[in-house]
Amino acid sequence: MAGQDIQRREILRVMAMAAAAATFPGFTRWAFAGSHPPAGALQIKPATYKLQFFSPDEYALVERLTDLIIPSDETPGAREAGVAEFVDHMIAHDHDQQYKYRTGLTWMNAHSERTLGQPFLKLSQEQQISLLEPLAYKTKYHPGEEDGREFFHAIRELTAMGFYSSEIGYKELDNPALKFYAESPACPHTDDREHKHLRPAKW
Amino acid sequence: MAMKTLCEAGLTVCALNAGRRLDPEKDFRNHRKPWEMKFRGFGNPDKWAESYGYMDSEWVEGVWEHEIPFTTAPGTKWMWPRCFAVGGKTNFWGRSSARFGDIDFRAATLDGYDVDWPITYAEIAPYYSRTERMVGVSSTVQNRTSNPDGEYLPPFNFRCLDHILHAGAEKLGVPYLPDRISQLTRDHEGHPSCHYCGGCTTGCDTGSFFSTPWRFLPKAEATNNLELRTNAVAKNILVDGNGMAKGVAYIDRKTNQEVEVFSRAVVVAASCLESARIMLNSKSRHWPNGIANSSGQLGRNLCDHLYGESASGYLPQLLGQPSFPDNVGDNTVAWMPRWQNLNNPHEEKFVRGYSVYPGGGCTEFPWYASQAEGFGSDYKRAVKRRYPTPVSFTVQAPTLPLASNYVDLDPDVKDKYGIPVARIHFQWGENELNMWEHSKQVCADLIRAAGGEFESSAKEPLMPGWSLHETGTCRMGSDPKQSVTNSFGQTHDVPNLHVCDASVFVTPTDKTTTISIMAFTLRSCERIVENLRRGDQLKRT
Repeated sequence: MAGQDIQRREILRVMAMAAAAATFPGFTRWAFAGSHPPAGALQIKPATYKLQFFSPDEYALVERLTDLIIPSDETPGAREAGVAEFVDHMIAHDHDQQYKYRTGLTWMNAHSERTLGQPFLKLSQEQQISLLEPLAYKTKYHPGEEDGREFFHAIRELTAMGFYSSEIGYKELDNPALKFYAESPACPHTDDREHKHLRPAKW
Repeated sequence: MAMKTLCEAGLTVCALNAGRRLDPEKDFRNHRKPWEMKFRGFGNPDKWAESYGYMDSEWVEGVWEHEIPFTTAPGTKWMWPRCFAVGGKTNFWGRSSARFGDIDFRAATLDGYDVDWPITYAEIAPYYSRTERMVGVSSTVQNRTSNPDGEYLPPFNFRCLDHILHAGAEKLGVPYLPDRISQLTRDHEGHPSCHYCGGCTTGCDTGSFFSTPWRFLPKAEATNNLELRTNAVAKNILVDGNGMAKGVAYIDRKTNQEVEVFSRAVVVAASCLESARIMLNSKSRHWPNGIANSSGQLGRNLCDHLYGESASGYLPQLLGQPSFPDNVGDNTVAWMPRWQNLNNPHEEKFVRGYSVYPGGGCTEFPWYASQAEGFGSDYKRAVKRRYPTPVSFTVQAPTLPLASNYVDLDPDVKDKYGIPVARIHFQWGENELNMWEHSKQVCADLIRAAGGEFESSAKEPLMPGWSLHETGTCRMGSDPKQSVTNSFGQTHDVPNLHVCDASVFVTPTDKTTTISIMAFTLRSCERIVENLRRGDQLKRT
């Protein structure tokens, strides 16, 4: 059994090394937000993110949209997780989607001006939400807004991808991939295998 | 398995691999997290169209073959992920490892279709046992002759979703059991047991599931009898004046030079389609249609596993519950082995049978998020509430051999080394499509019987080739006019040429192929050693 202990210690050492490995350079908020650099590591000053595809105006709108889709409320949201950076990065590498995103953002502002007299970012939060709801909920769809709906669904999907693949997103879900286990995890509900009498849902 | 068995018996072996050696620390996932990857593990969007999917991932770059093409006949769709690296797909496999049984070997006698295998379960069982002991397989004793029990380490434990689905399955009379998984729940042969991180199919850096480079290659190399040449693309098998195998010609990928290796015997284990391609390309005046192909069966009888998402939904019992480590073993935990046509071969609208892999729960990424409507705090909460609840079922249905399904050489297209490429002809047959429809009904019923909400079934199965379990192109048989090899993988025509992969399997079954490939290879290689020791290279069977 002594051999077992040595192997397990070795594994834990290797895993600790992997966890401290350098993150991909060039990204600011998603690389550093929420993660704790190991004690003694250099505290690198995050540089400003360098846009790869969107113009600064487009990017500001992207940021706001991701913020509305997955907001910072009781727990951190898309803003802290740097999702807008992720969206810019992915679209910069997705030539098939670039036209749709560019025209989608243009549509958002045109639609905002047409219905509420201002570009999207000048609206109040309630007004912004009122424009997004008909794009998001089937029962609220407006005819003639198909382009906006298509764009909104695309950016929502990309926002979810960026959020839930970040460390903040992992912690939001309490993603079990954050841990390792010594034994094969077993369902703890030994007296209630059909799970009919579980403790009430927390959320 | 072949390298290890032959080297340990004292033979000098030169092994050719079309790729490179892998370094677990650099080439495997090594517990890197998505936010450490350039594209968060999703891969470069501009390259999504050419990716093979989950296996061709950002964590493991550069080992899936994209340079050497293949073609398909008009009307054929086929996906062919080839891992060109030492150990091949054993570095990334699904690890499901059930034994074939007599219900598979004697299927033709039972239902009248096609031919029996030239072997019985009693003959191969000892090789399964020895293989399982070497490899380390976790499961339980289940007493089903259609799914014979082997030598097992303790099983993976059932998760919450398994218990819930199991209760539903019981109501329908469908088995829901621990899978046979080539993954260590205990330390085994000097390798540490699994720590349940769920990163299996992107390469295990602790060697806690069987792969050739972790387990068999070191043993082969320890004998000092192995010369492993990497980046060597086998071109054709060389023959002497009598038509017997005398070696292999290959292309060195680094120099683009053709090299010849000479030997007393040749083992082809390039995986089902590639082995057939190499042998078809091995033409000579003795073998104008490809080496060992007097039967004309080389490349024929190509079969696959039909894979598809039979049903998906969610379990409301688990809404809002704390997260649970469901992704252990990369979701290889439970299995629904074949339960159809067990007592009466013609009970269903199809012959033979299929199995189903259930999965779900708290997976690494919440793919179901796109199904929740809306945005904002409500959306965020809905995604979190639903995290433990998704369930889905993947069918694994064996195809029957059809005259329309085979591989040959493309008459026009050659790869960059001047070697004719493989051309695949394949269509789903009625039998497997009936299995697919049947599985959709059963799995939807199972979700409901378990108290779950059924949401959808896929309309179409996944593309042919997706399963990575193709078989049949160098089929074994007792009649040299109808088969390429005997039960030892020895070609009928060329006694010093053996085939040791799934191309020799007569038909697919409801089970995966890897453990059977290893058991058959063990038996075949011990026969090679015997033959060579007796100087008995001309012995047939």
